[in-house]
Amino acid sequence: MTAFILRRLGTLVPMLLAVTLLVFALMSLAPGDFLTPVKAQRDINPALIAELQKSFGLDRPWYEQYLRWLGNILRLDFGYSWTYKVPVAELIAQRAPATILLSLCSLALAWGLAIPLAVLAAARPGGWIDKLTSGAAYFALAIPEFFLALLAVWFAAQTGWFPIGGLTSLDHDFLPFGARMLDIAWHLVLPTLVLGLGGVAGTLRVLRANVLDVLRAEYVTTARAKGLPEKIVLFRHVLRNALNPLLSTVGYAFAGLLSGSLLVENVMNYPGLGRLVYEAFIREDQFVVLGSVMVGCTLLVIGNLISDLALAWSDPRVRYGR
Amino acid sequence: MPRLVSPLLFLLLFSSCTKTPPVARENPPLPDGIDTARVEPGRRGGVFIQSVPGEPSTFNPLVSEDATSGGFIGLFLDSLTRYNAVTQEIEPGLAARWEIGKDNRTFTFFIRPGIRWSDGAPFSADDVLFTFQAIYDPRYPNRSAFDLSIDGKPFLVEKVDNLTVRIRTAEIFAPFLEYVGGVGILPKHRLGTAFQDGTLQKAWNVRAAQYEPQTLVGTGAFRLRSYQPAERIVFEANPHYWRADSAGVRLPYVDFLVTKLVKDINASTLAFATGQTDAEGLSPDNVAWIERFAKRYDFLVHNRGPSPNTGFIWFNQNPGKDVSGKPFVQPHKLAWFTDRRFRQAISSGIDREGIVRGVLFGRGQPLWGPETPANKKWYNPNVTQYPYNPARARALLTEAGFRLGEDGRLHDAKGNLVEFTLNSNQENQLRVNMATVFKENMRELGITVNLAFLDFGTFVGKIQDSFDYEAGLLGLTGGGDPAGGMSVFSSKGRLHQWHPNQKTPATPWEARIDQLMSDQLHTLDYPTRKKYFDEVQKIMSDETPYIYLVTANAYVGLKDRWKNIQIPPLGSLVWNLDELWTVFTP
Amino acid sequence: MVADLFQSLLRRPAGLVSAILLILLYGAAALAPFLAPTIPSAQDLNRTYHPPTTLVWQEGRLCVRLYRLVDPSTATYEPLPGQAAPLRWFSEGPPYKLFGLITSKTHLVTVESPAALYLLGSDATGRDVFTRLLYGAGISLGIGIVGVFLTSLLGLTIGGLAGYLGGWADSLAMRLTEFLMAVPGLYLLLALRAALSSRFPSDATFLLIVVILSALGWAGTARVVRGLVLSLRERPFILATNILGQRPTVILFRHLLPNTFSYLVVAATLSVPGYILGEAALSFLGLGIQEPSSSWGLMLGQAQDIKIFMLNFWWLLTPGAAIILTVIAFNLLGDALRDAVDPRFRLPGR
Repeated sequence: MTAFILRRLGTLVPMLLAVTLLVFALMSLAPGDFLTPVKAQRDINPALIAELQKSFGLDRPWYEQYLRWLGNILRLDFGYSWTYKVPVAELIAQRAPATILLSLCSLALAWGLAIPLAVLAAARPGGWIDKLTSGAAYFALAIPEFFLALLAVWFAAQTGWFPIGGLTSLDHDFLPFGARMLDIAWHLVLPTLVLGLGGVAGTLRVLRANVLDVLRAEYVTTARAKGLPEKIVLFRHVLRNALNPLLSTVGYAFAGLLSGSLLVENVMNYPGLGRLVYEAFIREDQFVVLGSVMVGCTLLVIGNLISDLALAWSDPRVRYGR
Repeated sequence: MPRLVSPLLFLLLFSSCTKTPPVARENPPLPDGIDTARVEPGRRGGVFIQSVPGEPSTFNPLVSEDATSGGFIGLFLDSLTRYNAVTQEIEPGLAARWEIGKDNRTFTFFIRPGIRWSDGAPFSADDVLFTFQAIYDPRYPNRSAFDLSIDGKPFLVEKVDNLTVRIRTAEIFAPFLEYVGGVGILPKHRLGTAFQDGTLQKAWNVRAAQYEPQTLVGTGAFRLRSYQPAERIVFEANPHYWRADSAGVRLPYVDFLVTKLVKDINASTLAFATGQTDAEGLSPDNVAWIERFAKRYDFLVHNRGPSPNTGFIWFNQNPGKDVSGKPFVQPHKLAWFTDRRFRQAISSGIDREGIVRGVLFGRGQPLWGPETPANKKWYNPNVTQYPYNPARARALLTEAGFRLGEDGRLHDAKGNLVEFTLNSNQENQLRVNMATVFKENMRELGITVNLAFLDFGTFVGKIQDSFDYEAGLLGLTGGGDPAGGMSVFSSKGRLHQWHPNQKTPATPWEARIDQLMSDQLHTLDYPTRKKYFDEVQKIMSDETPYIYLVTANAYVGLKDRWKNIQIPPLGSLVWNLDELWTVFTP
Repeated sequence: MVADLFQSLLRRPAGLVSAILLILLYGAAALAPFLAPTIPSAQDLNRTYHPPTTLVWQEGRLCVRLYRLVDPSTATYEPLPGQAAPLRWFSEGPPYKLFGLITSKTHLVTVESPAALYLLGSDATGRDVFTRLLYGAGISLGIGIVGVFLTSLLGLTIGGLAGYLGGWADSLAMRLTEFLMAVPGLYLLLALRAALSSRFPSDATFLLIVVILSALGWAGTARVVRGLVLSLRERPFILATNILGQRPTVILFRHLLPNTFSYLVVAATLSVPGYILGEAALSFLGLGIQEPSSSWGLMLGQAQDIKIFMLNFWWLLTPGAAIILTVIAFNLLGDALRDAVDPRFRLPGR
């Protein structure tokens, strides 16, 4: 198994190289650079701009900039943010936990809600639960995430029931531990709902179909024939097998959430990686962009790895192959 | 608001706004040189909450390039002089008074005796010297070094004694006091080592603010308490602040100043409208619905009058060619753009009233010159105006040789179809709306306008580097001293957008503006400077290189509970934060 | 085979209704200039944020009520009691070009000048939202169709070749698809759009977006096609053509790929929503279609202003409803087709 894990992590290297090279090349194709907005200010000395350009290495051709960055990476130096004058690794380490927390919560919501609903829906295909859930799923899959996020912000503003943006209240630092956790949970409710809704619908649809497939299997008939209660048949025998194909998609689902959280974080004012990345893209803060892209890809590969391991654990037929 | 999760959550800070202050503040004795604020004495306590779009990129004034960072730095670093936003005059700051030498180039500042840094260390002339030394040091390129020089010659800064500093300028420099007022004095005892090491630019970055806020030592009303990126910045009262009220209570009155960091203006506006913050600048289109929340959250929306922001359209009048020898602007179009009658006709064809009524909900006014009435010290009301008048526009066009074709479209004397592309940046919805209105207005004159919205970076690249565009729509923040407009008005200027970086002025009127701008810079006499700058504004409106559009009114929302509020026409609305206080009524 | 598909579709009401709805939507988009009462750029600065005008039956004719601006600072309008202007059917209005060819002035319905017909209200510069919605449909729906066409073409070719040739070509193609599916798409989208935008005139933005979206989106289709080709390759009829000595390209394009067609139709139908939502997301971030053109994503992006919610200008959110409706219809249709073809067929990565 260790060899399998190592091999999978090994594929990460060429992928990171390719992605960062691609992103870097594209960014340098884009007109303007980090200093363009500075040029537009009315009282900045051209000499200062030239000096900054030199100190950022922006006066060199792009491949030279990239190679220099790559060289630094080998020495575990991820560069520093031009905007914040802080090492990129530190900046990302600050922001990533909030995004991972949000993604995990959304994933938990998607699975927590979708699993029981899917089993119930598939237990009586065409029943009212089935009709209701599949109708809702169609709807949920059709709402653009950012539009839902807008509606959520408006809802929070109108009712005042939920905070608008942020992850903590003003008095967070002064609260006892329990209240602090509650405070964070309270701030997470709306972003999780917005980001997780699409996931609930997607998981629900796939799982329902899987459950229906499994229900036709012989061992289910056997189990029923043995006189096991329907609940046990459904949740112990059927569900476990129906989940297997889904486990292999967790990695992609996680990646989808990372992309989705970029939009949601920006609309809902959530202090995570997505806001950082988007701002860095807009400002062309090169090293932050490259660093976040690397983190995004790494998380994705690790997510896929974990889902493969989980699949192997739950389905003995799977071997650690390619 | 926090009804769902109950009183547990909003325990400390929120209760402190409404009940007795729980914070025990240090109370060191007042120094001899204390400044007594001429305001109604108030009570200490309370938390002032505001929100700011964006994120500070640094807390180091030698690095800061953006307004957001600058705003936070201004809270904890004070200067020798202080700008009164209401009277728009320069007042004493860390220096109790100053003398101007007979040559009008020598300024002697007398520092308030006994004042201290926020960590208790004494403040002295050495700190002032150190600050200027750091600014002029070539190891630390920064924008102040440029502002505080005349033709590359830095000011001469000398220490006379421990509390006296003499600054001499190479030539008479009109905005001297205002510019010196913008220089936050840095603590030598804190930053001296970093200065020696060559690491001064890394000092006071966001990481320092996050993990060692106590090292950010200043003289301002507040000192940094904590910073959480993308969430909030908390400042607390500086116990060694150099101002007190007439009752001998040291300012500021408020215990804490909390700034929520939000994504954009929309989020900031929403935070105020839902009662989460105490003050907010509001755009005219949002006033109507925010006022509906005024009763529920006890605030009032004040009209500050016209904002200092200008919006304008201009034509590229650059006669140059690119490296391949192709002219930046097609010659027949350049002929239109350099014809004053054409520009005036365009100006007369724009329905500014309509823009104000439709796009700004009637909350704004047409703009005719480079300054708006907000800049009351320098605004010239007697500039030439071009009210909406398509008939006059057509007459001007006819006079300039243009005529309408049978298809209802305008042609020039040589038969070329009058058509051009207007560039703007897409991030600003108001600008997008104005551009679409302009397009429709021009259609009435038979002129075809194509719109192209670019990323801001691309747009600036076209304006400043490649010059391959026909017309642009942009805005500038006006206000302040005319010296700040040198790069715009002077024909040598980088932001002289219609034809930047000229070696010699292309037209007589640009030469005249150059002369006036130079003259106003080299006298300290306000009426003379005003006369010169009035003429600059008049020429700009006559020649219309910039076709000014509208200026929106600026609004502020403020919670009712704050006293000593003075709303200035421009700049930060809570510029006198140190004087604000609140009664603790539930 | 295609006929079978449609016959089975007829037996599924949800799919049928969706198909009809989509045909209507595309028809409306194609005939937008005729159906719209005006042109999308026509402004009226005296009637910004006008609410939808109500229609009344008066004097035996369908009429539109007249409104008065009560408070310009809040854009509040109220109907004038008893006053209405009759609708004029097949009347003259601003000139337009139908299908980019036929010049005409005839609109389905207009009203006499001082009155205004705003079926879905007006926007920040007094333009008719209904008109812009119709014109925008052309772009938003068009991106879906063109995008899916490009994706299918790419996916079919690459997936087909990979599956048929096998060996290094196969593994190269599969590594490429894995790579594309693994990269956080929105990051690439941001980078691509920034790099390409300034190199194209704004009219070409539409095509640019389609190309970007399909360049990122073909991987899924390619994998489906490859899998199908792999399984088909071992079927007797293909083995037979092999033995008969037909050229590989002929086998691939004449025999293998046509057999994947029905799957491809399902996959295509289910991927259209991705394009429509992708365009919306791009435009929302300000990276998509630009003024003065209109698209649903752009209109929705402009409605993210909080005042639109707070002043209850709900009609500016109708593009959102249009997107949701279209996406649901495509998903329902796709599911119905899938059930007809192979209920267990699934798109990877979704």
